[in-house]
Amino acid sequence: MNNPMVWVIMLPLLASLITLAWPRRAHWIGLLFSVITLAFSMVLVYQVFNGGPQTHELGNWNAGLGIALRADALSASLLVMAMLVFTATTFYADAYFSDVNKRMRFWPLWLMLSTAINALLLSGDLFNLYVTLELLGLSAVALTALSDNRAALQASIRYLSIGLLGSLVFLAGVALIYTGYGILDLELLAQRIQAEPLAQVALTLMSAGLIIKSALFPMHFWLPAAHASAPAPVSAALSALVVKVSLYIILRLWIDVFDVVITPASALLIGILGAAAVIWGSWQALRAERLKLLAAYSTVAQLGYLFIFIPLITGLPEGQLRETAFTALVLLALTHGFAKSALFLSAGVVQHRAGHDRIADLAGTSRALPLTTFIIALSGVALIGLPPSGSFIAKWQLLAASIHSAQWWWIPVVATGSILAAAYTFRVLGHAFGPGDSAGKVLNWGREEIPALTLALFATVVLGLGSAGLWDFISNNSQFIGG
Amino acid sequence: MTEWLWLFLDLTLILLLLTLAWLTCATHNNQKGVTYFIAFGLLLALAWARLKAPDLALAEAVIGAGISGALLLAAIKHDDDAQSVNKLPSIKLWMVNLLTVALATLMGWGVWHGLELSDGNRLADQVLAQVPESGVTNPVTAVLLNFRAYDTLLELAVVLTAVLAVLTLNPMRKTYVPAEPILQTMLSWLVPLLVVTSGYLLWVGAHAPGGAFQAGALLASALILLQLAQPTAYQAINLNWMRFLLIVGIAVFVSVGLLMMFLNTAFLGYSSSWSGILILVIETAATFSIASALAIAYMGGRPDGWETFETSTSSGHQGGKHS
Repeated sequence: MNNPMVWVIMLPLLASLITLAWPRRAHWIGLLFSVITLAFSMVLVYQVFNGGPQTHELGNWNAGLGIALRADALSASLLVMAMLVFTATTFYADAYFSDVNKRMRFWPLWLMLSTAINALLLSGDLFNLYVTLELLGLSAVALTALSDNRAALQASIRYLSIGLLGSLVFLAGVALIYTGYGILDLELLAQRIQAEPLAQVALTLMSAGLIIKSALFPMHFWLPAAHASAPAPVSAALSALVVKVSLYIILRLWIDVFDVVITPASALLIGILGAAAVIWGSWQALRAERLKLLAAYSTVAQLGYLFIFIPLITGLPEGQLRETAFTALVLLALTHGFAKSALFLSAGVVQHRAGHDRIADLAGTSRALPLTTFIIALSGVALIGLPPSGSFIAKWQLLAASIHSAQWWWIPVVATGSILAAAYTFRVLGHAFGPGDSAGKVLNWGREEIPALTLALFATVVLGLGSAGLWDFISNNSQFIGG
Repeated sequence: MTEWLWLFLDLTLILLLLTLAWLTCATHNNQKGVTYFIAFGLLLALAWARLKAPDLALAEAVIGAGISGALLLAAIKHDDDAQSVNKLPSIKLWMVNLLTVALATLMGWGVWHGLELSDGNRLADQVLAQVPESGVTNPVTAVLLNFRAYDTLLELAVVLTAVLAVLTLNPMRKTYVPAEPILQTMLSWLVPLLVVTSGYLLWVGAHAPGGAFQAGALLASALILLQLAQPTAYQAINLNWMRFLLIVGIAVFVSVGLLMMFLNTAFLGYSSSWSGILILVIETAATFSIASALAIAYMGGRPDGWETFETSTSSGHQGGKHS
C-alpha cells in the first residue's frame, strides 16, 4: 500500500477542517498534524530511496483514465523540505499571533496551504496540477491579507489578480494539450509529446503562467510587496515554498515531460531571464530599507539561479555530468528553502521585539537578540554560498556545469550575484552589531527562535555536510535522468 | 428547412455573445458591465446546450450567470463610485489589448495545428468505455465523482478556501433595504420550488445532467433570495450549524476515500457494487457545503459572533472583536 502519499495530502486537509470546527484547540491540532505529516513524508522518502519512484493510482483506475499520485527523488526531497519548513514555521506561528481572533483565522488557511503544496508536489496529472495551483494561490493570498494593514491588503489583491492571470494562462496551455493529445497524465504525455506547433504553444502558455507565479524577472514585480507585508510565518512559507513549487512544475515540464519540445534558444532565453533576476534581485536587496523587503528581493535573486540551471542541464549530454548538475539544482532549491524561511522568521522576531525592521535602525540587535542575529548570519552564509552550506556545493557545481557545457557567460553572473549577496548580508550584520539599543536593552531569548535556528542549521550544516546522501538519492531515483 | 433555422439561431447566438462580450469589456460603468456579463452568461448557457453539453449549460446558467452575477452585484454595491467612470490609463489598456490579441492568436495557431493530432487512445473514449463500471450512467458524473473524483475533492477545498478568505477579511454586510411585499409573496412560492429542484438535480445527476455543483448553487440561490427578503433572518443563524455545513462535504468525501483505501488499497477506490450509493452520499454532503459556501460568500463576510463565540465560554482569552 502506497499510503504515505495519500496521507501527506489528506492529513493537513483534515486538520484544516478540524481547526475550523474546533478553533479553540486549533494550535494543538495544527502542531500535532504537521508533525505526523512530516513523519509520513519521511516514510515516503524512505520508500523512494529503497523502491524507486512511487505511484498511487487514485480510485484504482489506471493512470490516464484516473489520476495518479507520483513521487520520485525530486518531488520527495522537495516534499520533506516543505514539511520541515512548514512544521518549524508552525511551531513559530503558535507563538507569533497574539490576537486570538487572528490566530483563529490563521490555522485553517495555513493547513490548507500545506495541503496545496503537498498535493502539487505529488500530482501526476496536468489538470490536477492546475487545481492544486488554484488552492495554493487562494490560500496564500488569504494568508497574506491576515496582517490587516492597508499595504498588506493592496499587496494581496495584486497577488490575487496576478496569480489568477497566471493560473488562467496555465489552464489555456492545459486545454490545448487536451485538445491535441486527449490525455492529461504526465507520464503518458511524456511518451506522446512531439515537437510540433501545438505542443510548443501549450508549453509556452503553461510556462508563461508559471513564470508569473514563480516571479521570474521581469514578472517579479508583485513578489516583494506581498512577501514583505505578510505576517512573518506566512512570508517564510511564501518565499521558501510557494514560489518554489511553481518552479518545480516548470522543471517537471521542461526537463521531464516536454523535453523533446525544448530548443536551445528557449532554454537560453529562460536562463537569461534567470540571470537578470539574479543581478536585479540582488541589487534591489542591497538597496532595500527593510529587512523583510531585503529577504523578499533576495528570493527573486535566488530563484534566478535555479532558472540558470535549465540551459545548463538541457545543454549537457545525458549521463554523469547532467545528473550532477540536476542534483546541484535540487540542493540549491532545498538550501534556499531552509535559509530563506529562517531569515524571514528572524525578521519576524526582530520586528516583534524592536517594533520595526528598518535595517538602518537595527543598531544593538546583536546584544539584545544574539541568537536571532546568529540565525540571520547563518542564513546569510547559505544565501551567499559560503562553505559549509548546501549552496556552496550547488554553486560550485553550477560553475562546473557552465564550463562543461561551454556556456561560460553564466560564470560572471553567479560571481556578481554572490558578491552582491555578501554585500547585503554584511550590510544587515554591520548595522546589527553597531552600538545602540533599538531592539531593547535586555538580553532576549524566545522560544520562537528555536524553529528558526533549526531551519538555518539545516541550510548551512545538514545539507552542506550531508549532500553526499542527497547525491546518491537523486541520481538513483529520478524519473528525469535517462528516463 | 429546420437545419437552416438552427443555423440562423446559432449565428444569432454567436453574434449576440460577441456583442455582449465586447460590451462587457467596453463599458466604463460597473453596474452596466455586470448586467451585460450576466446576460452573456445566460446566452453562453444556451451555447453549451447547442453544443450538446447540458451539464455545462446548467452549471453556466446557475453558477456562471446566476451566483457570480449576484456576487458581482453585491460587490459593486459596496463601491461608492459604482456609477462613475472606471477607466484604465490608455497605455495599460492597450497593453492589455495587445496581450489578449497575442494570446488569442497563439492559441488559435496551436489549435489549428492540433486538429490534425486528434487520434488514438483519447481520454473521452476511455471514459465512455468505462462508464458502466462507475456506478452511474451519466458520463459527466462518472468523471467528476469516480474517475477524477480527487480533482473534485480539491475543487471543494478551493471553494472552502475562498469562503475562508471571505470570512477572514470582512464582517458581514448589513445595510439592506427590506424587501417589498410582492417579493415576500413570490418567495413563498419560489423558495420551496428551488429546494425541490435542487434535490431533483442532485438525484438525477446519476443518470442525466445534474449533480452536486448545480444542485448546491440552486440551493444557495434560495438562501440568497431569503437573505434579500429578510435581512434579519440571518442574525438568528446557528454558527455551529454553519461550520458543520461548510465542512461536511469535504469531511464525508475524505472519510469515504480513506475508508475505501483501507478496504481496496486505493484512495477513493470504491467497491464496485457500492459505488452508486457512495457517489450519492458524497454528492449530498457536497451539495450542502457548496450551498452554504456560496450563501456565505454572498453575505460578504463573517456574521456576528463567528470569531468570538468561543471566548464567551473560556475566561482566559478575551480577544477583542475585530473591527
